[in-house]
Amino acid sequence: MARVQTNVRFLSPWMRIFVAMIVGGVDVGSATGKAVVMKDGRIIGSHLIGATTRPQETARLVMEEAVQQAGLPSIDHVEHIICTGYGRLQVPFAEENVSEISCHARGAHWMAPTTRTVVDIGGQDCKVISVSDKGTVLNFAMNDRCAAGTGRFFEAMARALSCGLEGLSALENQGENPCVISNQCSVFAESEVVTLVNEGTDLPNIIAGINVSVASRLVSMVKRVGLEENLVLTGGCSKNEGLARALAAKLSIAIEKLSEDPQIAGAVGAALIAAEKAGVPD
Amino acid sequence: MKAEIQSEALRKFVEVSGSIMNPELRAWKDQGRGVVGFFCSTVPEELFTAAGLLPFRMRGTGSTNTELSDAYFSSINCSFPRHTFNQALLGEYDFLDGLVCINSCDHVRRIYDNWIRALKTPFVQVMSLPRKVGDPQVDWYTDELNLLRGQLEEHFGVQLTDERVAEAIELQNQIRGLQKQLYLLRKADKPPITGAETLAVMVAGTAMPKQRYKDLLTELLDELEGKEGSRDYRARLMILGGELDDPAYLEIIEEQGGLVVTDSTCFGSRLMWTPVDEAEPDPIRALARYYVHDRPSCPRMYGHQPQRIAYTRELAREFRVDGIIGERLLFCDQWVVENYMTGLDLKEDEIPFMPLDREYVLSGEGQLRTRVQAFLETLEARGS
Repeated sequence: MARVQTNVRFLSPWMRIFVAMIVGGVDVGSATGKAVVMKDGRIIGSHLIGATTRPQETARLVMEEAVQQAGLPSIDHVEHIICTGYGRLQVPFAEENVSEISCHARGAHWMAPTTRTVVDIGGQDCKVISVSDKGTVLNFAMNDRCAAGTGRFFEAMARALSCGLEGLSALENQGENPCVISNQCSVFAESEVVTLVNEGTDLPNIIAGINVSVASRLVSMVKRVGLEENLVLTGGCSKNEGLARALAAKLSIAIEKLSEDPQIAGAVGAALIAAEKAGVPD
Repeated sequence: MKAEIQSEALRKFVEVSGSIMNPELRAWKDQGRGVVGFFCSTVPEELFTAAGLLPFRMRGTGSTNTELSDAYFSSINCSFPRHTFNQALLGEYDFLDGLVCINSCDHVRRIYDNWIRALKTPFVQVMSLPRKVGDPQVDWYTDELNLLRGQLEEHFGVQLTDERVAEAIELQNQIRGLQKQLYLLRKADKPPITGAETLAVMVAGTAMPKQRYKDLLTELLDELEGKEGSRDYRARLMILGGELDDPAYLEIIEEQGGLVVTDSTCFGSRLMWTPVDEAEPDPIRALARYYVHDRPSCPRMYGHQPQRIAYTRELAREFRVDGIIGERLLFCDQWVVENYMTGLDLKEDEIPFMPLDREYVLSGEGQLRTRVQAFLETLEARGS
């Protein structure tokens, strides 16, 4: 079960009225499904699974697991559920859906209230979100219609290098002299990486080069939105330590660590919004 | 399209905008009358009307792929010319008696080069529109229009007298006035017509006989008089951008709860916000001045961004806009820089702005919905 979170004090006073309510958030992404159950402003159950080909099935499976962890008999015992992510329109047990941009902002802000910029790197897109001191979205930018700088990009690179996603991530694998990967397109970047491999380039320098190239793309999105500290990373790729280090170096900042798994930030945000929505009188 | 009101005129407009060859165009052709296609809203369609020809603004409506045109263009060319030229290669534009191309942008102007090699349209011309907005450029464009006048006279065997041109200007100005009336109805709290429906009305105006269009538009305005829309919406939006002729794109935005109440696009308000000066004694010069100088410009014109942002601000204020979406066709170099500047300028006014890239043919609907939904949530968070 997820570590119990006790920062109820970060909720606005009127939200605390509803803290006894059990609420849920489910984030149906392109690569994974995440679910969170919350009570009293604490996470009492959370789970993550690989996405199936049916979003409603992914949502049900992951939510059932989170509900079980929370010690509840069934999903019906969760009073209000918000769904987010690419599959958000397909979830029958959710009362409402909210965009993943609002959910990541809210979730990351709850995990680290000093958050003002969220960089969310998911399976098929990346986004940079400017966050208010209340956890609402001020502005955002998303990658447009291509896989560059997303989980799909890293999967393609890991395939080309036969090193696995962990191999790309580990700090000890980051070479001192990153290669220049000039192509942002994942298809062309893969060819570029294959060329480097065939030229006998040291693997760590290729790995570092890949992370630096994705960090470059993220930097331009951060600049477009406007950098406000603290900056945090969410989404599956936020666990890539090599990428986090490259991005921090390019922006000349320290990236704040989140108190919870950054991959469930969207689901946490959805649950927090569920609490808020359920409490608002008609 | 879920219509706000039941209107036969609106139904006609939706039908005309939904395809290239439409029933109104078919009826015109069946009478043995001519049609000239043209690219870009800076081509003075009044000259074609004056010559007794139907001006048809070129679109790629109905296209599903670019497999034929990609032999002529590359995958980093804008999808608008690729889809439109593909439709031409499929024979969808075989009804044209003429075509006038223009250097509106480098992607579009290359259609001319490919068209004259690949297709057999009897009359194909290319015009040169200046880049700056000033008196020398008005002189230049006056010369260009006089050249086109001569070419039309010679090929189609008509006399394009000043009187005929002036009459065509008068008719087009009347249409502009009616279109503006339609837009002004959208200032209401509950506009009787949606953004998607309005775009269909505007697109239809470039694809059917002018007099018939004017009559139908008058009918529509009569029907809308005193009516209110029933739609609940989360925010009032403005669309800023270029070649947007697909009402379905706006429908997706409106389905998310963002009511499109106005725009600055080249099938939208920029077509008609100001009229051609009918007091100018030389109607050709009046047209040149209008298309180069007087009408709201697009980013292809140099040094005119301050006027463009002023126009955007004016519309946003008049139509009580909560947020602006800047749509841009992928690879459009004109609009990418414009959107960046617009975003910075609108920050001063605290008007939220979201740039959105798109393909000419509607695709990536999930991504579009996510962005629009997030934008609307952002607007609501500001308001709460």
